[in-house]
Amino acid sequence: MGKVTLYGIDGSPPVRSVLLTLNALGLDFDYKIVNLPAKEQLKPEFLKMNPLHTVPTLDDNGFYLYDSHAINSYLVSKYGKDDSLYPKDLQKRAIVDQRLHYDSSVVTSTGTAITHPLFWENNSEIPQARIDALEGVYKNLNLFLESGDYLAGDSLTIADFHVTAAMTGFVVFLPVDASKYPKLAAWVQRIKELPYYEKANGSPSQQIIEFIKSKNFTIV
Amino acid sequence: MTKLILYGLEASPPVRTAKLTLAALGVPYEFVEVNTLAKENLSEAFLKKNPQHTVPTLEDDGHFIWDSHAISAYLVSKYGKNDNLYPKDLLQRAVVDQRLHFESGVVFANGLRSITKPLFASGLTTIPRERYDAIIEIYDFLETFLKGQDYIAGSQLTIADFSIISTLSSLEAFVDIDPAKYTRVTAWVKRLEQLPYYEEANAKGARTFTEIIKKTNFKFAS
Repeated sequence: MGKVTLYGIDGSPPVRSVLLTLNALGLDFDYKIVNLPAKEQLKPEFLKMNPLHTVPTLDDNGFYLYDSHAINSYLVSKYGKDDSLYPKDLQKRAIVDQRLHYDSSVVTSTGTAITHPLFWENNSEIPQARIDALEGVYKNLNLFLESGDYLAGDSLTIADFHVTAAMTGFVVFLPVDASKYPKLAAWVQRIKELPYYEKANGSPSQQIIEFIKSKNFTIV
Repeated sequence: MTKLILYGLEASPPVRTAKLTLAALGVPYEFVEVNTLAKENLSEAFLKKNPQHTVPTLEDDGHFIWDSHAISAYLVSKYGKNDNLYPKDLLQRAVVDQRLHFESGVVFANGLRSITKPLFASGLTTIPRERYDAIIEIYDFLETFLKGQDYIAGSQLTIADFSIISTLSSLEAFVDIDPAKYTRVTAWVKRLEQLPYYEEANAKGARTFTEIIKKTNFKFAS
């Protein structure tokens, strides 16, 4: 059985969530960079794998899969030595699934509302309302963490990987106020201590963080 | 005997996803209305059930689960006589999961909620043109997904169909689905409308939603 191939770019939080999962599983993989600004994702070979032309996209020996949440669930279910990262217990799984969909809908849309004009429309003025919405996300994440040290309870799951990857960019716009969101601040630190964090998320996110800072955005 | 309670509002698309799943499974439940438009979801009692105060919320024997996708997956896994609606086969499940997340992000958050949130909260009835374009893009992708297959995630009905039809039947309140351009989507909608429980679980609530939207006299900016 050959290695899986991950298509993506370091800047993308969903791609980094898959890098975190692959590293957590100790799985060997090939990583192929897709140059999004050069629209490589619109080439016919890529569209054949993923008609939505998004990253991350996974090629598991001819089985193509996209959407980071579907990819991570699939990787754990197929290659995990156990189910801790995506528990089979129905109630535990339901909580992880809810956190994953919170990421797909609320976390993603809140982040995109801030980054899209900045990255793609050359607009460096961010309305305060969008930062307030981001703070709303921090409030919810802090609430979720009332139930345990990790986003879905007492153990690390793929839900932690998705949100960590997104938070890495978010904190450049709005640092986590530890006095208001102590559980969130503690969780951010806890994830940074994972042995593979630096390799899978820390260092790949450097470039995008610098890119955001270089935009000299202002909150209006 | 477990007692299932579904909290929500019939007009809400994700609530209808849960209703479709429950009906397909033939599982009895109690429906308790929580009117989000009247902020009933912000009551202390409801916050205890779901601190994120969204609908649908499911109560199963004292446990609370929310997010329509998590609810649907849980219901099939727990109460399904078989796994048809949410296959256990890893490859099939991965495709269903991708469709469910596509619904969460692209269809619901970016397609619908980006319009309804400002519309209901701040009365913004002039909708930016890019919201129209986002809906057309959704219709385009759905047409692509349905190429060569009868259902959204493959050859059989799954919770992905329920998740997407509930929101699609509400997006139609804003942008018609051109039957000449979207032949596969149109056929798929007709296919789902034949389900015996479709009227009660989705069509009725979708009409209510559409009435609410039409009353706002919204228009798209040119």
